[in-house]
Amino acid sequence: MEPMFTPALHRQRHQFVIDFVLDLGCCECVLLKQLKFHREIELLVGVDIDGVQVKKKMHGLAPLSTDYLQPSYDQLRIELYQGSVTEKDARLRGFDLVTSIELIEHLTLADVELFSEVVFGYLTPEAVIVSTPNSDFNPFLPGLVGFRHRDHKFEWTRAEFKSWAMKVCLQYGYEVELTGVGQAPPGQQERVGFCSQIGVFHRLGGKERYNMFDEDAEDVFSYTLLYSIIYPSLHDNNIFRRVLVCEVVYWAEKLKRRWIAEETGERDDTDDLCQESHVDTEETQTACGAEMKTLVDQEEEGRELRVSVPLAVLWCCCPKVSVLSGSVSHLRLLLMDEPGVKLSQDGSAVLLNHQEQDLDDDDEEEHRADLEDSGYTEAPVPPQR
Amino acid sequence: MKLPWLKESQLPQLILDSWWEEGDRKVLLDPFRQKISAGFQQVKLGERGGRRRDFNDGGVNTRMAMEHVKESKSGTSGEAIRLSANFFRILSRPQWVLYQYHVDFKPPMEARRLRSALLFQHEETLGSARSFDGALLFLPKRLQNKETLLHSETRMGEKVQITVTLTNELPPTSPVCIQFYNIIFRRILRMLDMQQIGRNYYNPNDPLNIPQHRLTIWPGYTTTILQYESAIMLCTDVSHKVLRSETVLDFMVNLRQKTGDQRFSEICGKELIGLIVLTKYNNKTYRIDDIAWDHTPMNTFTKADKEVSFKDYYKSQYSLDIRDNNQVLLISNVKKMGPAQGPPPGPAMLIPELCFLTGLTDKMRADYTIMKDLDKHTKLEPQQRESRLNRFVSSLHMNTDAQAELDKWGLSFDKELLKMTGRVLPGERIFQGSRSYEFNPMIAEWAKEMRGMPVISSPPIDKWFLFHTRRNANEAMSLMQTLGKVSAPLGIRMQKAYDDQLESLLRALQHNVTPQTQMVVVVLASNRKDKYDSIKKYLCVDCPTPSQCVVARTLSKPQALMTIATKIALQMACKVGGELWSVEIPLKQLMIVGIDCYHDISAGRRSIGALVASLNQSMSRWYSKCVLQHKGQEIMDGLKMALCALKDYMKFNNCLPSRIIVYRDGVGDGQLHSVVDYEVSQILDCIKSMGQDYMPKLTVVVVKKRISCRLFSLVTGKATNPPPGTVVDSVITRPEWYDFYIVSQHVRFGSVAPTHYNVVYDSSGLKPDHMQRLTYKLCHMYYNWQGIIRVPAPCQYAHKMAFLVGQSIHREPSMKLDDLLFYL
Repeated sequence: MEPMFTPALHRQRHQFVIDFVLDLGCCECVLLKQLKFHREIELLVGVDIDGVQVKKKMHGLAPLSTDYLQPSYDQLRIELYQGSVTEKDARLRGFDLVTSIELIEHLTLADVELFSEVVFGYLTPEAVIVSTPNSDFNPFLPGLVGFRHRDHKFEWTRAEFKSWAMKVCLQYGYEVELTGVGQAPPGQQERVGFCSQIGVFHRLGGKERYNMFDEDAEDVFSYTLLYSIIYPSLHDNNIFRRVLVCEVVYWAEKLKRRWIAEETGERDDTDDLCQESHVDTEETQTACGAEMKTLVDQEEEGRELRVSVPLAVLWCCCPKVSVLSGSVSHLRLLLMDEPGVKLSQDGSAVLLNHQEQDLDDDDEEEHRADLEDSGYTEAPVPPQR
Repeated sequence: MKLPWLKESQLPQLILDSWWEEGDRKVLLDPFRQKISAGFQQVKLGERGGRRRDFNDGGVNTRMAMEHVKESKSGTSGEAIRLSANFFRILSRPQWVLYQYHVDFKPPMEARRLRSALLFQHEETLGSARSFDGALLFLPKRLQNKETLLHSETRMGEKVQITVTLTNELPPTSPVCIQFYNIIFRRILRMLDMQQIGRNYYNPNDPLNIPQHRLTIWPGYTTTILQYESAIMLCTDVSHKVLRSETVLDFMVNLRQKTGDQRFSEICGKELIGLIVLTKYNNKTYRIDDIAWDHTPMNTFTKADKEVSFKDYYKSQYSLDIRDNNQVLLISNVKKMGPAQGPPPGPAMLIPELCFLTGLTDKMRADYTIMKDLDKHTKLEPQQRESRLNRFVSSLHMNTDAQAELDKWGLSFDKELLKMTGRVLPGERIFQGSRSYEFNPMIAEWAKEMRGMPVISSPPIDKWFLFHTRRNANEAMSLMQTLGKVSAPLGIRMQKAYDDQLESLLRALQHNVTPQTQMVVVVLASNRKDKYDSIKKYLCVDCPTPSQCVVARTLSKPQALMTIATKIALQMACKVGGELWSVEIPLKQLMIVGIDCYHDISAGRRSIGALVASLNQSMSRWYSKCVLQHKGQEIMDGLKMALCALKDYMKFNNCLPSRIIVYRDGVGDGQLHSVVDYEVSQILDCIKSMGQDYMPKLTVVVVKKRISCRLFSLVTGKATNPPPGTVVDSVITRPEWYDFYIVSQHVRFGSVAPTHYNVVYDSSGLKPDHMQRLTYKLCHMYYNWQGIIRVPAPCQYAHKMAFLVGQSIHREPSMKLDDLLFYL
């Protein structure tokens, strides 16, 4: 059979509600899994009555490996609860948006009343999206007898849905726009509407936020937290420092190498790729290259030679460092007591060892190397290369 | 799907999608697949990297064919030692059984997901612990009746009758159960919030960084549950994943700056092809197989009959913005099978900006400073390793979700590392001509003892060259002088070399080296690989002459010069056919063969097979042969020819060997069956071709270095590395194999890794004890290291040769070098 809708209907439903925050009846977390890519969202919460179903899939909401490798400023927390949408839970109040996709038809009509009260009267989100089957459309579904799913308690016509929506608006102060997904065959749209009907509700009375200290603020916690995960973000101080230190050390080493190469007038021919071509780098090179010459400096500490790379040079050479730190003085502050970075006494420069540790001193050690951990076969290495 | 490697045991098909489809792995639609057709998703379910390979080589039952080890495969010599190993026993309730059911749908249901959904409507009957792959259902409990009738209804209201029939009761040791344990265990690791990369799990929350190289290391664990000799156990080891905190695009931009536009595409391919990447939108790993230089994110692909550009796709699907519209794309040939009928899916196209590199490039591996930094972080002393493993298992016990999952299936793990007894083989005596000596077995080397003692034999080196640049004249001079000083006591006669200062090295070689030249020594100004490669290429192929390269820097330290020169003198002696030392080998008319291979990714993914065979009783002369083969060709096809080693043996000994022992290295996980099925018979054929009545005894041993087994000695009360010579041949070996572990080398830092030896064919009747001791003896015979190494010398020689050919020469070395260790 040719699929009736392209893309598939459930996908269209989800695409429609992209940008949101609390998903009621999240089931196997399919919608949440899509929403987590929208990093403007900071808190994603899913609620479902079937905890087993949620537990089976919830680990799929964990951050990807790559989310850890280059953390961004975006914050995201995902929480999943087991609970009934007919019961109140204070933790879910005051959201920007609540979605309830193909959920209400699984409730008895009495429960739908409770649902309306909980969602519109108690949770009071800025916006709500409710989707449910449109029974006007059912004749177009081949072979369908009765409801679309055996668990459906009802399937509303457009008129029934509209009347429920209007009642809710009136009672709780919302306005609604009715729409849907799943186009009817050509020419029939007017008569039967969409396959799935959708109500998009907006709270009247502007953006005033839900007041945490409401008069009858008796907090109810009826839901059970099943899963909670915080995505890595630069707002986390540990992660921020780690990323900053990595950038600073990387660039300081890079500047050091460039300086050494210039200083000795030698090309670093241990690296056969390192034939500096001046193609696209020209600009940055002159920008901080001139400063480099005067600013990168050798310091002699006892017998140890050190190269000092001024923070100011670092700050202007590496855009990421400047974005992360904001200003040179702030950068200094941040690096002050960072064990991974050694600063000069006045804190104006990063100090690095002049030379890599001498290779041949522990030539012997190398022979014994057991590099298995890094997936490298251990072989005695001849001194020839 | 067929599981072709399951030979002896007829396993039922086990895909268990409900266990594997962890969310994001079940990709909704792959954008970059050129062809997408119906049914495609199902095939992908539960699959990672194509056909579910059995990385543990289960089902290869070689032991039962060998009469002499059926009863026991244990050796006897040496002293007992108390050890612990990184294994944890899995305990199940007594009489634990896994029940296997067949599930039938009436009317038949096509889609597997639908079938699962219909079946799982009956949770009250089936319980929450269950696993279903669409046809087979596994439960930890017995349903009341042999046949259970269930009634379900589809969304469309269609009534479906489901018949669940008990077909099998699987004991804990059955192969299906073992697969099962592994699947359950992976779920548990997921519950500990670990990230799966490839086959292992890692903890991303506590990374180690090496900022100089933009490397991030995640600590993690490898885990395997298998039936071992004594019990079903979890073998777990600490593993480190090297990731890079830059995208492939960052890497390419950087590279282009360094190389300039002309050389960029060539070098970029060399650096990237073969690397594994992670993407920003799913948790899959892809191997870069090629670069699509003519594609950019603006190219389109067909998705649901519509043309979509990659850029738009990622924006709409993952709200990922691609900033660079001109980047070229990466190609990954996904080895997955397509739908049952219909063509296999096309290659995946990846966007460099959305991919992160993992692992190390060969260039990084060759970089001493990077490796040293890495070692600092990843090398764990035995005690550290032991405590990390204990922490891991106790975290399993502490996690309530994990415990609940295990309880559901009636399983649990031991809380402590496995304790056992091994043996330490007696130390060997080193012979050099008429003199012999012992060495300190704990440090496993004899450089000190060897000082000033003549080697067994060395041809006089009269006609040789020393090339160097003008800049390195001093180093060359001091090398020449020191060589003169050190070679006399070693019994190596060395004339003064002709030195040449020509700036163009290759021209100098062509100009001076003749067929009479015995040896060429080159002092290199730097360790530039291309220089080294061109020298080796010329002197191994065009003008076959043993050669020795030294980087000038190495010679610049006066205090180290004597040591370096000694090593160079010894190497020079081996390369012209000298014999340095030997150990006592009691078997006569024996030929030892070592085989290894190297996969050259850059040169059109050719593999290089190398074979090294002993030519004399003292295992001091070797015949070496290398073959290059094309993609898809079996290693042995080429190496069959190389067995004309037998003819060379004849030349040296006037007879053919009556025993041949082959040590085969370089067998990957899951490839054992092909060695057993294919290579052994190829070797036998080869021997047969020597003559009707020639029937030597043959032994084939598969050597594995990269294993997760670790041993700790408990002698001092705290965990330390077991001493060289430690052998383990029970408890943690596999019941279906004739296998053993030997720790032969000594490591000064970190934990030692034992080597696994698996005798897959043996018509020699040699006792296990003798097999173990002979193997250990052969680890003493690698002339490039005055000490004991991890593998038998012929394996290391073969490795060395394959590496040289794969890295530098890319062609078969000249036949004239066959009898020399020219690659050392």
